[in-house]
Amino acid sequence: MSRWLLFLIAIVIGAAAGLYYGWVLNPVKYVDMTPDSLRIDYKTDYVLMVAEAYHAEGDLAVAVRRLAVLGDTPPAEIVANATLYAAQHGWPETDLVQIKTFGDALQSWNPVLGVPTP
Amino acid sequence: MRRDERGPWYLLTGVVLGFAMSLLYTWLFSPVKYIDTAPSLLRADFKDQYRALIAAAYVADKDLARAQVRLKLLSDPDVVRALTIQAQSALAQGRPDTEVRALGVLALALSQGVTPVATTAQATVTLTATPMSTISPTPVVAWSATSAVLSGTITHGTTSPASSLRTPLPTPTPLPTRTQTPTPGAPFVLKDLKQVCDTHLAQPLIQVETRDAANQPVPGVEVIVSWDGGENHFFTGLKSELSLGYADFTMTPGVKYALRLAEGGQPVPDLTSTECAQGVMDRYWGSLKLVFVQP
Repeated sequence: MSRWLLFLIAIVIGAAAGLYYGWVLNPVKYVDMTPDSLRIDYKTDYVLMVAEAYHAEGDLAVAVRRLAVLGDTPPAEIVANATLYAAQHGWPETDLVQIKTFGDALQSWNPVLGVPTP
Repeated sequence: MRRDERGPWYLLTGVVLGFAMSLLYTWLFSPVKYIDTAPSLLRADFKDQYRALIAAAYVADKDLARAQVRLKLLSDPDVVRALTIQAQSALAQGRPDTEVRALGVLALALSQGVTPVATTAQATVTLTATPMSTISPTPVVAWSATSAVLSGTITHGTTSPASSLRTPLPTPTPLPTRTQTPTPGAPFVLKDLKQVCDTHLAQPLIQVETRDAANQPVPGVEVIVSWDGGENHFFTGLKSELSLGYADFTMTPGVKYALRLAEGGQPVPDLTSTECAQGVMDRYWGSLKLVFVQP
């Protein structure tokens, strides 16, 4: 076997070891994550909390601000995704209703005026 | 040097070269990306927002079991302390009263050890490990279960099949359980007002204690202290180590204060610090203690 081939094999072995080390043994560590990185069930529960608080407080502007930490996705879409997930995973009807009615309120949300539009 | 005399060092060079190149690739060009993280990994300020939202949801749904599950996801070493500190901090920062109150009320409910009672067979709370791993063009490592708390899953509803290969989420059933919260009762009545001469108090305080008809401390009661040119609002229960119905306010000697509870009851005017004496020479400013009760 030629030396160049052996050299190439050595590089490949080194690369494989490096990939394993860099991705598995000692990957880049992330801390201080943002809520948009939360798993879908946590996100859905977050939306449920916002919906529960909204139904008690009645302040859609505050609710929208709370949803904003989940990323750039429009609030109505965030809630729609949460509704879908909750429905698909058999969440209690009361929770579903809370999220749905919150989503309905968001449909009429006017971000410019800060109030639901008729 | 002849080729045969070089030995196998070139092989080691190759291995090192490959290792270095792949490290460069894995750490700089294509680092591991975390998705599907848990609330415990959130940045501190996002954790605060999460905690405040848990409290707001608790005030809305009165579901202590669910609030406890949610709080566990944040992995605070002492949940009550975290809530209390955040309530005090929120108060100092002028956050909305509703937020401060919600944090205080939840801290109280937890510190009272109110244990939710399952009312149905399904009303259980389950923290489950959720081992996951995902593969994508760039390596993606989902947070896997290192502890039940870290990977605690908020799950709702009845058992259903795993959602997908990507997130095989178990689906037990934490359902709402109605639990106690401090309930509004009759307006508070001033039961006792006395001077407190305590050399251990560095500053003169207005100490407020609120109790219900059963003589149990009532937290989350908003107290309003006003004086000529100023006003301050604070809540009972934020110093739970003293009493869940306790709150205090530092007086400035010579200033007259009026105190009332936001939930009603009689206002108490002309509160001021008076001197206490310990021996002949040692004089210091005394505090006042007001005890309000619900008849």
